[in-house]
Amino acid sequence: MSIVFEGIWKQFRRGELHDSLRDLLPALTRGFFGRQAELAADKAFWALKDLSFEVAPGQALGIIGPNGAGKSTTLKILTRVLEPTRGRYRVDGRIGALLELGGAFHPDLTGRENIYLQGTIMGMRKREIRARFDEIVEFSGVGEFIDTPVKRYSSGMNARLGFAIAAHLEVDALIIDEVLAVGDYAYQQKAFERISTLVASGIPVVLVSHQLDRVASLCTQALLLDRGVVRKAGSPEQCIAEYVKAAESGLRPLSGQTTLPLELTRLGIAPEGAIACGGSVTIRLEGNLTGTLPPSLDPLAFRLVSAQNGREVFATSAHECGVAPPSEPGPFAVELTLQLNAQPGVYLVESAVLDWTRWTYVARGPLSYLHVVAGQPFRGQVQMNARMMRVAARSGAPSGER
Amino acid sequence: MPFLSHLRSAARETWGARELLWQLTRRDIVIRYKQSIMGIGWALLLPALIVGSGILVRVAMATVSGQPVQLSSLGGVVSKSVPWAFFTGAVGFGTQSLLGNSVLIARIYFPREVLPTASVLTQAFDSGISIIALLAVLPFLGATLSPALLWTPLLGILLVVLTLAATLFLSCANLFFRDVKYLTQVLLTFGIFVTPVFFEPVMLGARLGRLIMLNPLAPILEGFRLSVIEGHSLAQPLEAQLWRPGWLLYSALWSFGGLLLAVRYFRRSTARFAEVA
Repeated sequence: MSIVFEGIWKQFRRGELHDSLRDLLPALTRGFFGRQAELAADKAFWALKDLSFEVAPGQALGIIGPNGAGKSTTLKILTRVLEPTRGRYRVDGRIGALLELGGAFHPDLTGRENIYLQGTIMGMRKREIRARFDEIVEFSGVGEFIDTPVKRYSSGMNARLGFAIAAHLEVDALIIDEVLAVGDYAYQQKAFERISTLVASGIPVVLVSHQLDRVASLCTQALLLDRGVVRKAGSPEQCIAEYVKAAESGLRPLSGQTTLPLELTRLGIAPEGAIACGGSVTIRLEGNLTGTLPPSLDPLAFRLVSAQNGREVFATSAHECGVAPPSEPGPFAVELTLQLNAQPGVYLVESAVLDWTRWTYVARGPLSYLHVVAGQPFRGQVQMNARMMRVAARSGAPSGER
Repeated sequence: MPFLSHLRSAARETWGARELLWQLTRRDIVIRYKQSIMGIGWALLLPALIVGSGILVRVAMATVSGQPVQLSSLGGVVSKSVPWAFFTGAVGFGTQSLLGNSVLIARIYFPREVLPTASVLTQAFDSGISIIALLAVLPFLGATLSPALLWTPLLGILLVVLTLAATLFLSCANLFFRDVKYLTQVLLTFGIFVTPVFFEPVMLGARLGRLIMLNPLAPILEGFRLSVIEGHSLAQPLEAQLWRPGWLLYSALWSFGGLLLAVRYFRRSTARFAEVA
């Protein structure tokens, strides 16, 4: 029981095919003059180039990458919706897919009818659906609306019901698309728990997602795709770091780094691995100064950028920490300790050279990343280390008076 | 035989997905009747309209030729209306069956053949209701109980196979060329002029009549009329009605040959369904 991809290639044609006879007929006549073949070769492009991987039982592979990387194509080949142009793949047993399915419901049928129809389309037997029916309804939270036509459902109910059906299939392998963003916050947590249970059940799992923290916490291994090619295969942490790095460098090219008499050589983070929200990390930066820097430049600047949305969540520098930057030529090292009172997620840690007179970064150094997981529960943007204690009430003092 | 292997694997997969086929057929039937004011009467509407138009045509013909309208000629129109309604209904709805479910096709794998097949089955359900109504009416329109009625199951099979072949081919073509559905509607609308539903081929004379019989539906429809109304065994030639047993073979060739070709075209295109849906 495993998922095997062996040298998969997939070709698509850019632009529209002739999708009406009206367009086809002139195209055919043009074909007689021999121009058609050239056009077709020009429009063809490879969505996947020689993709190979294997997912054994108990493993969960996360596939990440920018838009157009080939993630959806991979997913569709896995679920047998698309056929590869070249290469072989094997999926043992029945394959289940957690996809956004709300749109596939028939609006005139009731929730009950849609559960049976959708379940059958996904390959369930009627008695299996009957056996799990109550569980599905319970999970979806649709409740008494189960016998109401789906067109009267809110979009949230629709999505929840779709997820509930897919999440209760009995499968030998599981493909997960980005369905974790379904429903409200409470339902998302519930969906995430359900997926965690399925992943832990020991079947091979492939997860395609933009939510890097989900990949980091669910997957045992990962694959970074870029324009149909594997950029990196390895642990989720390695792939995420590589991805974030590539995404970041694509965002802001900096100039002037080569002319600086400075090398930033290593960025290390201790402890390694996931850190609970509210916990502390120490970031160590090593470098080498080969000349003198202008006093306006601070080579010890650090930024924390959210991998989910690319926003800078925190930045500091030697200047702000009240530390003198290195001035003598020679090697140097600095340690920065941060308390991570931030939302769970993946953050890029970036070292940079800051021109603090103009407040702009003039060069970028090595990068790393942090994976923050939930610690003490809190709501809102920032963990403020809430502490609450009961104290003795002031006796006899009427309220409103001091 | 590569042709047969396509048909065999299609049949095996469709059989494997029979629960899905049943669910989809049930869905189409439920949807069709849930929203219509007339309920089950909807199934009778199309054949009733065809019968009504047919009677009008026959009365007009009789008036022009100065002869009285014969009940058996009306019986002929009635017996041919139901198979014609089945064919046009199934092909008309079925052509849209793949495109109308493009969301499913783009996201989930299942044997694609079940979608057009379900349209044909849905139409068969409608026709089943019409046949029940027909059984009540036909005895008054000259139908006779005769051994010739045993030909009707065979005619039914030929009709269903031909309809299935056309539906598979057109639903698939409609996915790749979106104007196929308009073309189909036009052909179905004007098809009644080149298909002997309201008239008998012999009315056009021997030459033109034989030409009309080349329409693969014509021998099937004529077969229904001859066996149900005239009580004529189809194994015997009937020159007065331009009937020869060979016509049955001719239609069978179209039905089964068409099914082989349609399934082959369908199976070869399925891999690209999700790309165009």
